[in-house]
Amino acid sequence: MSASGRGRRSKVAALWRLGVAEASAYRASLLVWVLATTLPLISLVLWRALAESGPIGDYDQHGFDSYFIAAFVVRQLSASWVVWDLDRQIRTGELSALLMRPVHPVLHHAMTNLSALPLRTALAAPVGLAVLLATGGISITEDPAMLALVVPVLALAWAINFVTQLAIGCLAFWLTKAAALYDVWLGAYVVLAGYLVPTSLFPAGLAEVARMLPFHAALGFPVELLIGRLSVAEAVAGIGLQLVWLVALGALAALAWRWGLRAYGAFGA
Amino acid sequence: MSSAGQGFEHGALRRHLALVGAQLRVSTLAALEYRVGFWTEGVVGLAWSLGGLVPLIVALEHRDDVAGWGPWEIVLLTGFFLIISGVFASAVQPAVSESMAKIRTGTLDYLLLRPVDGLVSCLSAAFEPWSLIEVLTGVVLAVVATIQLELTPSAGQLGVLALVLACGLVSLYALGVLILSASFRALELQNLTFLMETLLDFAHWPISVFRGPLKLVFTFVVPFAVMTSYPAQSLSGALGASEVLGAVVTALALAAIARLAWRRALRGYTSASS
Repeated sequence: MSASGRGRRSKVAALWRLGVAEASAYRASLLVWVLATTLPLISLVLWRALAESGPIGDYDQHGFDSYFIAAFVVRQLSASWVVWDLDRQIRTGELSALLMRPVHPVLHHAMTNLSALPLRTALAAPVGLAVLLATGGISITEDPAMLALVVPVLALAWAINFVTQLAIGCLAFWLTKAAALYDVWLGAYVVLAGYLVPTSLFPAGLAEVARMLPFHAALGFPVELLIGRLSVAEAVAGIGLQLVWLVALGALAALAWRWGLRAYGAFGA
Repeated sequence: MSSAGQGFEHGALRRHLALVGAQLRVSTLAALEYRVGFWTEGVVGLAWSLGGLVPLIVALEHRDDVAGWGPWEIVLLTGFFLIISGVFASAVQPAVSESMAKIRTGTLDYLLLRPVDGLVSCLSAAFEPWSLIEVLTGVVLAVVATIQLELTPSAGQLGVLALVLACGLVSLYALGVLILSASFRALELQNLTFLMETLLDFAHWPISVFRGPLKLVFTFVVPFAVMTSYPAQSLSGALGASEVLGAVVTALALAAIARLAWRRALRGYTSASS
């Protein structure tokens, strides 16, 4: 390992520690965020009641249990909030200080967001466990190949969310309300990602379209893979789709970042 | 705090109304200045609320009714949902957020020094008129659904409707005040409005869908039942006396708790300068 490689590693480790410290300092706020993402669990109760008189589509009560608990877990593990940080940093000029540091600001944000995951998981775990006990467990895929795919699929879901937020956050270089635009994205996400209802239950036509969109790649697809509703061919196609969206949105983010920095420099920050 | 506990002496009511009127006027003028708000606040807000209907549409796709509510009854419910969600987006949420910003920056002192009740001052701190588009759409939907269902509500039923709707609005405001009071204690709790906004999604559903503890929560603690299901039921005369009584008690209790929480929060507030 070269000296510069070690240097970068220690910087990343320092960022990780900083992120963990920040997350614990703002734990009450983090708890509210965790609570705000318990929506799938309320959906669970709701759809469970609706499925009392028989399955809806190919989901029975137990199917809904599995789906929404998995959705809750995937949502926790793929969360990021770089759009709000970046929006504020660009507007207030805080970004200038970040640009002076020996680490790329995007890496800084990636580490801050990732390092909150352990605490976030710890806060969400009791909620998840309580629901698990109340519903009598979930069925996840028993296919070892699929289980092995869960980790990369989750990582891709996280990355899709991250670069999307990065791309929208970069709009703050030109707009004053970039974070408000993210609300629009989030609105579409809640409806189309399979957050409130599995997309496979959508009316024919809408279902096919929704399942091609990045929202589904970031939530619905990992969930369906986890609970064993996909064949190997479908899983491979889904990962391909995740990669396509990651590259497309990542390219947009990279472009927005590069052009944005030029605009940022131009107004003298 | 100086103005919080003061009674309604002569002219106080007129002073409060004048303040609310002035704030409304200023917000409307500002909204007309930034007409892009028609799209970013009005249309997007409406699209958000209608997007929340997708799960109900999915449910109706697979079932004839949702827990006893047919398609047009769901439209009626949606009308009342839009009214509530529009009031939240145009009056409650902006005022609470603005007051929170004032707590953070220390300018809340100026609000509290006014010769009116501090809470009235905070709750009228900001309005977002473009979000009233949602309320208007809600009224239209409710009227259309009432005609489609061939409902002919009597004067008594309309009176009950007005009563439960008022209870729903009081509860909504009380929840806003509770969130605001909580943010005095810890500024990081400001994202509670976001939690409220996401929870509001469940007001789309008739209360009969929910079971067990969640039903109790959505009837008495975060009373979405009072806000959307009860008004819809009151039009068809399906609302019993016990439910109306429950709605009134819930609204009054929430309002009292909110007022207490607000007084406690103010007592702990030491302003930015002192």
